[in-house]
Order: sequence, then structure tokens, then C-alpha cells
Amino acid sequence: MAYPEQCELCPINKNSKLVKLGEGSGPTDFVVALAGNPNVGKSTVFNNLTGLRQHTGNWPGKTVTRAEGAFSYDGSNYKVMDLPGTYSLMTTSTDEEVARDFILFGKPDVTVVVLDATRLERNLNLVLQVLEITDKAVVCVNLIDEAKRKGITIDDRSLARELGVPVVLAAAREGRGMPELLQSVRDVATGALICKPRRSWTADKKVKKAVDELVEQIEEAYPGLANVRWVALRLLEGDQRIIDAIRSGELTTLAEHGEQSKQVISSEKE
Amino acid sequence: MNPGEMLIGVLVLLAGASALFWPDRGLMARIKTSKLQADRERVEDALKHLYDMEAKGLPCTPEGIADALSMSAPESANLLRRLVSIGLLKAEGGAFRLTSEGRSYALRIIRVHRLWERYLADETAVSESDWHLEAEKKEHLISAEEAAALERRLGHPAYDPHGDPIPSAAGELPEVSWKSLTALKEGEIAGIVHIEDEPPAYYAQLAAQGFYPGLQVRVIELRTDRITVEANGNEIALAPVLAANLSVVSLPAEQIKSGIVRTLSMLRPGERGIVTGISQACRGLQRRRLMDLGVVPGAVIEVAMESVTRDPVAYSVRGATIALRKQQADMIFIEEKGGE
Amino acid sequence: MSKNVQSKAESIINHARGLRWQVGESFHDRAIEALYEEATTIAGKSVIIAGEPPRFNFDRTLDRLVTSRWTGFPIMFLLLAAVFWLTIELANIPSQMIAGLLLDTVHPALKEFGVWIHMPGWLSGLLFDGMYLAGAWVISVMLPPMAIFFPMFTLLEDFGYLPRVAFNLDFMFRKAGAHGKQALTMVMGYGCNAAGVVAARIIDSPRERLIAIITNNFSICNGRWPTQILIATIFLGALAPPHLAGMASALAVVAVVLIGVFFMFVVSWGLSRTVLRGEASTFSLELPPYRPPRILQTLYTSVIDRTLIVLWRAVVWAVPAGALIWLVSNISLGGQSLAEGVINWLNPAGVLIGLNGVILLAYVIAIPANEIVIPTVLMLTVLAAKMAGVGSGAGVMFEFDSTEATAMVLQAGGWTILTGINLMLFSLLHNPCSTTIYTIYRETGSVKWTAVATLLPVILGVIVCFLVAQVWRMAG
Repeated sequence: MAYPEQCELCPINKNSKLVKLGEGSGPTDFVVALAGNPNVGKSTVFNNLTGLRQHTGNWPGKTVTRAEGAFSYDGSNYKVMDLPGTYSLMTTSTDEEVARDFILFGKPDVTVVVLDATRLERNLNLVLQVLEITDKAVVCVNLIDEAKRKGITIDDRSLARELGVPVVLAAAREGRGMPELLQSVRDVATGALICKPRRSWTADKKVKKAVDELVEQIEEAYPGLANVRWVALRLLEGDQRIIDAIRSGELTTLAEHGEQSKQVISSEKE
Repeated sequence: MNPGEMLIGVLVLLAGASALFWPDRGLMARIKTSKLQADRERVEDALKHLYDMEAKGLPCTPEGIADALSMSAPESANLLRRLVSIGLLKAEGGAFRLTSEGRSYALRIIRVHRLWERYLADETAVSESDWHLEAEKKEHLISAEEAAALERRLGHPAYDPHGDPIPSAAGELPEVSWKSLTALKEGEIAGIVHIEDEPPAYYAQLAAQGFYPGLQVRVIELRTDRITVEANGNEIALAPVLAANLSVVSLPAEQIKSGIVRTLSMLRPGERGIVTGISQACRGLQRRRLMDLGVVPGAVIEVAMESVTRDPVAYSVRGATIALRKQQADMIFIEEKGGE
Repeated sequence: MSKNVQSKAESIINHARGLRWQVGESFHDRAIEALYEEATTIAGKSVIIAGEPPRFNFDRTLDRLVTSRWTGFPIMFLLLAAVFWLTIELANIPSQMIAGLLLDTVHPALKEFGVWIHMPGWLSGLLFDGMYLAGAWVISVMLPPMAIFFPMFTLLEDFGYLPRVAFNLDFMFRKAGAHGKQALTMVMGYGCNAAGVVAARIIDSPRERLIAIITNNFSICNGRWPTQILIATIFLGALAPPHLAGMASALAVVAVVLIGVFFMFVVSWGLSRTVLRGEASTFSLELPPYRPPRILQTLYTSVIDRTLIVLWRAVVWAVPAGALIWLVSNISLGGQSLAEGVINWLNPAGVLIGLNGVILLAYVIAIPANEIVIPTVLMLTVLAAKMAGVGSGAGVMFEFDSTEATAMVLQAGGWTILTGINLMLFSLLHNPCSTTIYTIYRETGSVKWTAVATLLPVILGVIVCFLVAQVWRMAG
């Protein structure tokens, strides 16, 4: 298949930089987390990147164990964690906890959120939550071929503008969009591209006031924390993992991590 | 008697004796512990009752206690004297007041009670009418550490399923600005925040009439013998004693929902509606799952197809097709929107 | 961590607790609502839906067809029947080939090899007659049907058809307090109970998932089909006139399957109203869009993911069982083998429930794999009845090429029609194989539920067999 409008990104041209490393074991430069709703083709993306053959089924809840794989692209080694498919990161199922904990405490260099183009609205719910936690994210809108059959087109530029992170359109089953995805992952991982994720939603005045109060306190205690607003929201929800993280000092480490990466970025700019 | 029979006789005697007197496990020890336990329960129930009366600003007398805990007047006087002597209670004039230790003891019990109700509501399928009674038993059996662990597991809930705030481990409890439903004026709209769970018979009737915390009600008629309210499109008549067990708060204008309330299960194939809310009767896992699937207020939902028995029905919502059973669709409120 | 930070942490946590009371109970709901509102806004700006929807909506049309009152059920039955029929038809040939290779060629060769290197007789017996034979037997019976059944099932799954089956059948399962998806775990169980138990992961409600796991054993698995067919042919097919014999035995097997379905519903109903009443319960079933399945990849992954993993586990369990079977038949105590002793001891109990000691012992030592029950039964029957010139010796499992020969041995062992009927029932209603028990434990993480899933069917089996035996004896 040929895509004249993106010929410079042709698979032959760019894919040559990709080496699938299967389960991988060598040194890792970057860690990539794969998040997404159940049944959006997340495992297919995973298989495409790593050359592994995770079973994929047209059925929510198929992938139950966390899979790990690796690939090398453009001279760097990437480790990929396929997180369990979840609808959200808010509620209390084990799957959601695993996914949430990895994105927050596993400090992946990039979190790729895979979406289903035919059900974008529902999937965006998860994206917004991921973007609250991390600002290093790439959104991969999968199944655009299926969407096209249904007369749905996704405006990737507008979506990227709204979300503040790179958006890649893909049809992972045919391998379409994978070169672009790899590029974006590399750009975000290396810091060549700085994301400004959208973080604007709040419930109502009462909640906003409560969140603001907590944000102020947290910022004072943990300067440099990258996701203060989210931590505040989780505290309001009574999330035990976050309360523990505050008590144990884990949050301090996260804050230092955030501070460091900011410094790296600013020194690169100079 | 031959030696064999004697041996058996001795063994039987020994077995019987150890069954009776074995430390901790024997019958005597069990009777003793259960006596202690019964005593503890009585003390704790009395403290709870005293706390309750104080919160309502009512005086507390030995007769009141005797009545509430169904014991005789001398027994209750005895119990109160004991509570005073261990410093949980002090006598002021003819009435009794809790000391600060007494109050925090009572709050500990209330905390366990409410946490357990929350647990039953969110994580189990135990029926609503059984929550209170189960919690009444559990509140005497759970230690402070276990309560803290339970609280962590439940994600630090702030309220119990009846709308009562759950005290913190330190014994803090927020001030609430509730009023009774009977204090509303005709035509006034308010939200139910709390349903008193005692006496259980009243609670069961209120629950059966469809009241739950979070429900929006509008007072239609106020009479001395009957109060009529409108909720979810239904008119419900209440005896004033029942209405007094419902606590309400006024709702800010933006939260008032208007329009005729219909449930999702009323839609026919091809019809569509906008979700306006999910009944509070749908809790825990069920509620989380519905919200995960995108069934939240504001969502446009359309009947995609019915199964052979019309239950479950498949709906399109946010681009996905999901099947819901009638029992679930009954709990989803919608506003109708013209079909295609 | 410094004292200062510690105290700051505590003050933040306390502050949050106070705020939780203020923001109220509905905070979580409102937060999600706001999140979705935002998602709707963004989607509104970035999703362009073509002015005219495509004239022919494939998904909708197909959905109407597969869920409609008139066409839904026939399509479902035809598809499932086709899957079963293809499995049985296609599995026969490779099954015989593998059996020919592993049992008739490699096994004698191994024995000869043992003689050639002067291996002691007991060691060669234990290794080759016990362990090797059990493993080989499981592979030859299990591999071909699973390698055919699972990929076909997976293709239906990848296409997106299976959720529609759950949708169609949910009303029946709802009445039993179960989830429509249980229909699929059940069908999966006809291939292999362990795989069916794993498949119960698609049910995300704790109560319904446990029900599906515990009742999966009522689907007779691929290791039990041969037993059902063989016994039905020998004892029930023989009752009918010769030209109807095939039909009669097929009907008998179908009847056993239906009895299994009946027990599945009854037990599901009972569990959901008793021991599992308090477990949280919900219903969610998504009907994903249809997707063209990718046949080659499906073949690959389903063979790797399901068939080989399940097979491997079965072999791992079967090999020690083979050793045990060989040992009990060869270790002698007081002039008779251990097996004979146990058989004689178990016989009264066996006869009481219309079976016999041989069958009970076979089910105890062949727990690891249902596949080896019949070979073990035959071997033990020959051993216990001291038949000369039949079989291959103590502890060596065997099967006959002809049904008649099997029938003769069994009848010589004192089997009656009642024994046959009860064996079929007991094969349906007995504890799951050890692979399945282990899988249940892994999936539920609970000894309690594993015990329930293990003991419940066996207790039911004993009761049912006992009642049938009493009725039979009274009537006859």
C-alpha cells in the first residue's frame, strides 16, 4: 500500500530504524508504557513494536497479564510495558491500580495512550486522566480504517492542539501509523518535544475551591511535583496509595524527579 | 467392671471435663467471654444512645436508656452508675452527660458502624434492609486497627450509605447543616442528604418508597397528617413521623434538575435520550462499571437492539454498544430526545 | 525524611479529610461527569462524522440478524454445531496418527531400548509403562481436538460474534443468577475445563465469575468425550436394534450433555442464592464492532496461548499419575497388588452407587487427566479379574482397537448396563482434573472456592449415582 502524501515517512524509509527485540534483555534507554481502554488494539500496537505475539481478542478484558517487550529505534533501546486495558484510572479495580501505579511511580519516559477512533469520546476520558498524571505522553488513535468505514474522520491536528500532546493516527493491524508513532515516542522520550498537556476539567465551584486549597499546600511541601492538581484530586477521593506516597516520602522523590527533568530541559534550551 | 470399660469411662469423663473447663475454648470460658461481650455491647449501646440524644439536644434519663436498650429501670440505673464511676459519664442535675472520653468512645463505635455499612453497601450484595442490623453486630467486634484497615481499603469514605458523616479515627465529625423534610415549605425543592436508619421499620418503609440520599424532592402539599412530595416524577405521600426521618439541604440553583423524569428502560428501539442521573440505589461496582462505560449525566444514549426477551437491551452510547439488563436500565434516569 | 516534611504530610492528609466531608459524597460522580463533559467538548472539535452515514451499515445489519428472534438462535446453534462437528471429524485422523506413533511405535522402541541397556525391569516399567505412557496418552487424545477447537473458537471471538451469543443467552443465565458470558466459558469448557476457568476472566463481576468457575466442570471436557462415546456405544447402543445403535448412543451422549447443562443452571442458581449471595455483582457486556479475523495469526496465537499451555500442564500432571498407576498395580502386599487390595476395599461402596471398585480407584488415581480414565479402567479390570492374555501387563494402560473387545473385557469384569449409565453420569459429575483444580486455585486465589469447585461435583455425582442405582434396582 502506498501513501503518497506521507512518502517521506514510508514504512521502508523509517521502519528501517526499528529493530524489534521481542522480550528484550539488553540495556534500556527509555521506558514506554502502553495504556488504553480494553479492546482498542493496544496489544496489536505492542506486537507491532516488539515483534512479540501477545494474544489479541475482539473482546474486552482479554489481556490480563502485564506484558513486557523491547525494541530499538534510531539507536536507542526502548522497553515497552503493555498495561492492562482500563476504562479509567479513578476507580478501584486491581487493573486500574496496576496501570495507574506504573504511570505514576514507574516513571515511564513516554506513556502511549491507544484510543479507538470509533469510540473516541469515551476513550478520551482515559487520556485526560493520564495527562493529569504525566506530561510525557503520546496519543495513538488506532482503528482509523474501521472509523473510515463508518464515515468517521479524526482531525489529528485539532486533537493534538486540544490535548497538548502529539497525536498519531494509526491502523495497527496493517502497520499504518507505526513509523509516526515511533517518531513521536522518540521525540517525547528524548525531550526534543515538550508537551503541554490539557488539565482543565473540574467538577464545580466547591470542588475547585477544595482542590485549590490542597494544591497550594502540596506545592509548598513538594515543590517541583509535576502533577499537583491530580494528587490533590486523588487526596479528595481518599486514594490510599497516594496517601501512603505522601506519608512515605515517595512523593518527595517524584517531586525531585520532576525538578531534575525540568533542569535537564532548561539546560538543553540554553 | 473390666479395665476396658473403666478406661473408656475415664476418657469420657476427661473429655467432658476439658470441654467444660478448657481455658479460652471450654464452655465455661466461652460463657464468661460471651457474658463479657454482652456486657460490653450493653455499655457501648448505652454510650451510642447517649451520644445520639445529646446530638439531638434531648435530655438523657435512666428511663430513656431503659426504654432504648430494653432493660429494666433498676438495671439501667445500675449501668449508668457504672459508666459514671469509670469516667465515661457525669451526672448533671437529673440528667446525664457524656464526658469527653465517653464521647470519643461513642464516636469510635459510630465510626465502625458507619464504615461497616459503607462496606456492605459498596463491596457486597447484602440487601439494604440488612445493613443496619449487620453493622449493629459488627460495631462491637471490630478493633480500631481493623477499622482503620477497612477505611483504607474502602478509600477513606466520608459518608455512610445513609448520608451520615463517618467520624475520623481521631473522633472528629463535621458540623452538618441539615433540616428535616418537615421544615420545608410547599413548592420548595431540596435534596435528601440523610435517612435516619432507626427505627429499622421506618427506614425499611422509606427505602421501599424509593428514598435515598441524593434524591431531589419537591414538596407538593404540607398537611398535619400527610406530606406529599414529588421525586423522580412520582408523587409520594408520607406520614409526618416518617418525613421527620428524612434530612434535606437546599440545592443550589444549578444543581436542580427539571423536566419529566423517565428511566432508560422506558425507551424503545430507535429512541434516544440524554442521561440525567444514575440512582443512588446503584452503588459500588455496578455504579463504577456504568460510569466507566460512559453512562454519565449528559451522555446521549440510544436503544440499538433488543434481545429476544427484551432483557438485556443493547444501547449505543458514546460510539460504543453496550448491553444492560432491565434492572440496571431502571436505575438510569434520562430526558427524552427525539429520535433520528 | 525530615520532621518538617513529615508534619507537612500529615497536615495535608488531615486537611484533605476535612475537605472530603465538605465536597460531599457525590464528588466522585461529579468529577467523572466533568471529565466526560471535557471529553465531549474535545471530541466535538476533532471528530468529523460524514454528513451521510453509509447506506449499508454492516455491523447493524449483522447484529439484527444474529440477535433477532427468528434467526439469532438457529445461527448460534449452527455455528456451535459446526465447530463441534469439525473438531470431532478433523481430530480423528491426527489423533490416530499420534497414537500410532507414540503408543504403538515409540513405546515398544523405548521398552526394547530399556532391555538393550539392561535397565532393571521395575525401572523400565515405571518410566516407560507408567510415566511415558500416561504422558503420551494425554497428548494423543488431547492435542488434536484442542488444536482444532481452540483456533475455531478464537476466530469467532476475534470476529466479535461471541459477545452476541452472551447477549442472546443472557436471559437464561440471569434467571440462574449468572452472567450471559458464562455461556462462552461453558462452551470453552467442552474443549477443556482449565481453559474454561481461565476464560471466566471475561466476566468482571466477582459473584458471576465465581459461579462460572465453579460450574465449568459441568461441561464435559475433551478428555471425557471419548469415555462418554465409548460407554454409550457399548452399553446403550447395544440396547437398540443394530441399525439404530449409532443413533441411540449419540442420543445418550447428548442426554448427558443436557444433564450437565441442567446441573450447571441449578448449581448456579443455588450458589447465587446461598454461599455467593453476599458477593458483589454487576452486569456489563460490551458488543464490540465486528472485525475481520486474521486467520494465520489466530492459528498461531491460539495454538501457543491456549493449546500448548493447557497441554503442557496436563502432561506435567499426567506423568506422575502414570508413575502412581504403575506403582499401585505392581507393588504387592500380602500376595496381592496394592491396586487389587484397594479395589476390593472400595468395591462395596462402588457397588452401592452402581459403579465398582475399579472405577472408583481409576478416578482417584487418574485425577490428573480424564483422558487416562478408560485405559486405567481397562488395565485395572484385567488385573482385578486376573484375565490372562488380555492387555499388556500390570500397570500398563491400554485400549482396544475395537469396541467389541472392550465390551467383552468390561462384561467379563462384571459390568452391567447400570454400571455403564452410572459411569457416564459419574464421568460428568466428579471432581475436576488436577490441572483444572490448580487453575481454579490460581484464578480465585482462594482455597475455599477451590474446595467448593472440587467437592461439589463429586458429592453430586455420588448422590445421583446412588439414586439411579436404587431406582434401577427397584425397577429391575
